[in-house]
Amino acid sequence: MNAKKSTSNKTPRGSMKRSVFNIPRILRHVPLILLTAFLTSCATGRIDPTDPVGENAKQIDGIMRLSGYMATAVGIFVAIAVVVVIVKFRAKPDDDPDELPKQIHGNRKAELTWTVIPVLLLVFLAVVTIPAVFDLSSKSDGRTIQVEGQQWWWQFSYDVDEDGIHDIVTANEIVIPVGEEINLDIRSNDVIHSFWVPQLNGKKDAVPGRVHQWRISSPVPGIFYGECVEFCGLSHANMQMRAVVLEQDDYDAWIQEQLTAATIPTDPAAKRGYDLFGRHCVSCHVVNGVYESAGNGNANLTSGYAPNLTHLMTRTSFAGSIFDMYKDDGSVNIADLREWVRNAPENKPSRPDNRQGMISFAETLSNSELDDLVTYLLTLGGPPPLMPS
Amino acid sequence: MALTEERPEILELESGDTSASTGAFARPTNATGWRAWVFTVDHKKIGIMYGVVAMFWFLWGGVEALLIRAQLFTPNGTVLTAEQYNQIFTMHGTTMVFLVIMPLAAAFANYIVPLQIGARDVAFPRMNALGLWVFVFGGIFLNLSWFLGGGPDGGWFAYAPNTGVTFSPGAGMDFYALGLQIAGIASLVGAINLIVTIINMRAPGMTMLRMPVFTWMILVVQFLLLFALPVITVALILLSFDRTFDANFFNVSMGADPLLWQHLFWIFGHPEVYILILPSFGIVSETLPVFSRKPLFGYSVIVISGAAIGFMGWGVWAHHMFVSGLGPVGVAAFSATTMFIAVPTGVKILNWIATMWGGNLKFTVPMMFSVSLVSMFTIGGLSGVMHSVAPADTQQTDTYFIVAHFHYVLFGGALMGLFAGMYYWWPKAFGYKLGESLGKWHFWLLLAGFNMTFGPMHILGLQGMARRHSRYGPEDGFDFWNAVVSIGAFIILIGMIVFAVNIVRSWLGYKAGTVPQEPADPWDGRTLEWAIPSPTPEHNFDYVPVVTDVDDFWHKKYQPDANGKLRKIADGNAIAQKGDQHPHLPSPSYWPIVLAAALPLIALGLIYNLWITGIGLVLLLGAMYGWSLEPATDPDAGHDGHGDDHGDDHGPDNHDPDGSNEAESVTAEEAPVD
Repeated sequence: MNAKKSTSNKTPRGSMKRSVFNIPRILRHVPLILLTAFLTSCATGRIDPTDPVGENAKQIDGIMRLSGYMATAVGIFVAIAVVVVIVKFRAKPDDDPDELPKQIHGNRKAELTWTVIPVLLLVFLAVVTIPAVFDLSSKSDGRTIQVEGQQWWWQFSYDVDEDGIHDIVTANEIVIPVGEEINLDIRSNDVIHSFWVPQLNGKKDAVPGRVHQWRISSPVPGIFYGECVEFCGLSHANMQMRAVVLEQDDYDAWIQEQLTAATIPTDPAAKRGYDLFGRHCVSCHVVNGVYESAGNGNANLTSGYAPNLTHLMTRTSFAGSIFDMYKDDGSVNIADLREWVRNAPENKPSRPDNRQGMISFAETLSNSELDDLVTYLLTLGGPPPLMPS
Repeated sequence: MALTEERPEILELESGDTSASTGAFARPTNATGWRAWVFTVDHKKIGIMYGVVAMFWFLWGGVEALLIRAQLFTPNGTVLTAEQYNQIFTMHGTTMVFLVIMPLAAAFANYIVPLQIGARDVAFPRMNALGLWVFVFGGIFLNLSWFLGGGPDGGWFAYAPNTGVTFSPGAGMDFYALGLQIAGIASLVGAINLIVTIINMRAPGMTMLRMPVFTWMILVVQFLLLFALPVITVALILLSFDRTFDANFFNVSMGADPLLWQHLFWIFGHPEVYILILPSFGIVSETLPVFSRKPLFGYSVIVISGAAIGFMGWGVWAHHMFVSGLGPVGVAAFSATTMFIAVPTGVKILNWIATMWGGNLKFTVPMMFSVSLVSMFTIGGLSGVMHSVAPADTQQTDTYFIVAHFHYVLFGGALMGLFAGMYYWWPKAFGYKLGESLGKWHFWLLLAGFNMTFGPMHILGLQGMARRHSRYGPEDGFDFWNAVVSIGAFIILIGMIVFAVNIVRSWLGYKAGTVPQEPADPWDGRTLEWAIPSPTPEHNFDYVPVVTDVDDFWHKKYQPDANGKLRKIADGNAIAQKGDQHPHLPSPSYWPIVLAAALPLIALGLIYNLWITGIGLVLLLGAMYGWSLEPATDPDAGHDGHGDDHGDDHGPDNHDPDGSNEAESVTAEEAPVD
């Protein structure tokens, strides 16, 4: 039994074993958890629809507040009526049991009133809503980025020279220039997903076989968090993403960097890692310029896609954006990266035996081989144009 | 004294020479013991069994809910794996919708509707039993998946193509698709039965607009079921064919559009919401007038708005799909229809408040639950209007804001109403009331736990916490309210334990004589079920009542005097029927349960081995054969009291010495099930 007393005032995350029998032990910490949680809940989370930044998100926020205020007003009216009824018309002990209250069977005028008033309120709401629906679904004249959802990560593709061929393919992080209304072509390569960066816009589903048009924009640079919000199977909770908004100059520089192909490393450890990559990784992953055999639609995965790793280190996160690539001090989060490469299914629920997710290399690669492979990965571009604050 | 004049002649059932029927199989005759329950065709026993089984699944669905809340108590919870979490939230929704709220409503519909319309039973008693047993076996079949490789993992909404074999290779989704088809048969059978019963078997004088509102709402719900279930059945058959026979209905690479599933599912799924809530609307439309001592404010408006909700419910399904790529015209249209379905719903709420306004309110436990429905459902209704604003819904959908919304509708609305119904009709079914003070503890704990659980989910949703995520991170800022929510869920558990204790204590007290036997009319009721003894005698009515008004029974108790002032002219218990007649009743039957047992075998075979399907089909055909060849009634059936006083002409009168048709011994049979 796992009965040792914890003196920590932190939430017991991580110290819990996989057993429902630990619930009572958690319960003993309830007061501390509540206190800690209340203090931390004052800070806003990373996903935060209540703090809209993009134009679309702001427009939605306005309508949402309007409907919220109207609903609250009606709710308060009903609540007052219920409270008055409960207090005022409660039977008293000294009531004459044979005395009936006035028997009212209805009142045409009253009923008409409380039919018409809601109708008017709702007509008003509809008049506000319907133009917004059309407005939000229109296409902008900005550039288009292709978004593809697959179990359990996002892929973003850029057609820089607008020749119909995607020149940049990246994963987990969509990079956009500040102030531009970007069009998104949202697709899925397996099941239904939903693209959501709440501070920039509402959701849009990624449905296989269809292309859904959507827009995002931000007037300020920064990193905005998003995630998949349509249930998409085992690791639905671990399909996150980030929208990186850059100043125009930084964006142009980022584009130029992404267009560069990788080269074979010269450092001996990295070269050994490069060779290992060629043996173990290329059936799924692409590194532009050196390993392009996997391509798109490869048979090793149900979705046919694995993240393109050419500029891995220019991203601030990996593995469906659930791990930070860099620590707060700016150094690479090598421990998590190495652990991820060693045994992915252990670090993110997945089902590689059913071609859903990355296989484990725990049995295949030795410790030194893992080190070499990670050393190679560290050579793949970087650092990111913008770090999370 | 005018009352006795209105009593009609004794009800006579067809007294043709049924004993001469030459069926190949005898009918069961047991009036007591387990056989009296398993083979019964009595709508009251069937109603009680629906309730008992639904409460069992409520317990299981509640355990699933608590596991979910234990997992989400802290960030990165490790109580469940992602795989277990997905299975459990799938089955929590499926269980609560199909195995708890629908059958609880069926329990009340079965027990109460015939009593409210002055009928001896439903139109097709054996079909009624079939519905019950199909539901029982469907529920067992669905949950067999837990023991055969894991539960369904695609969500109760089962969106294609995630539920195809490619992405959900286990057998769980097969159990889901086949199990819901089985459960659907139960509801369909029940729907046809109740529609025929309500339309054909009302007491003389009970026009449609003199029908109790509960019966009205049940009628609307049965029509919704009748039209909605075929749609989900088609969808489930397509899914089953995809999974079992490699059909390509939802296979995108073969040209399918997975949105087909969503449209089919929600064309069923949205009327389903009204299927779940309208019975409770009916219940509080009964309890509020009784405990306010006032008639329902705007009876016809409440009835018509209920029917209007039923109609409009067919035109709003795509509001579940605002972000799935409908295009702006579709989104705008469904946004508008969804807004305007709030009108008849709002009218109902305000009419209920007007019913209480100026009344003489008695806050019994059923009244407390009823008032909580009015207020809690309003919150769910208003957040529903917020979702109808499609742009706002693009931020709200698939977050906990939606989870909060529909739990306010289904827990704060449907379940609160069903609890009101349990406390209200308990004396009619069992002869005693549930304890008042434990009942109040149950109510307050449930109300507090409910609001603590689902209230903060509004905040979590607005903060952006997504649904169906098996974990959230410590950096997301969701810790505090999730802890509150999880504690609230355990308060609900305590409330439900109090409810269980109350049931057991009240029953034991009744057996020991400390809880009093209730008379026919313990609440000063308004409708016909209070005009017969408590608990209901097996034959319901000695005499078919003749109805002249809405709330007919109440008008027999209260009449205006010479000055036009309403006076109590009779005591309800005194003028109630005595339950001492012994008309002939339909005999029990072996075949409904046998036929129902064939269905899970057929379904199991489709998953594992077609030979099992073959066995199931043989059993099915055998049961149909037995069903049709069984004599219309058994001359030696356990309906002992073939009253010589009303010319029942087959067989000698065989009054049992213990008189098992007397009210007291019926109680003894019925009481043990709770």
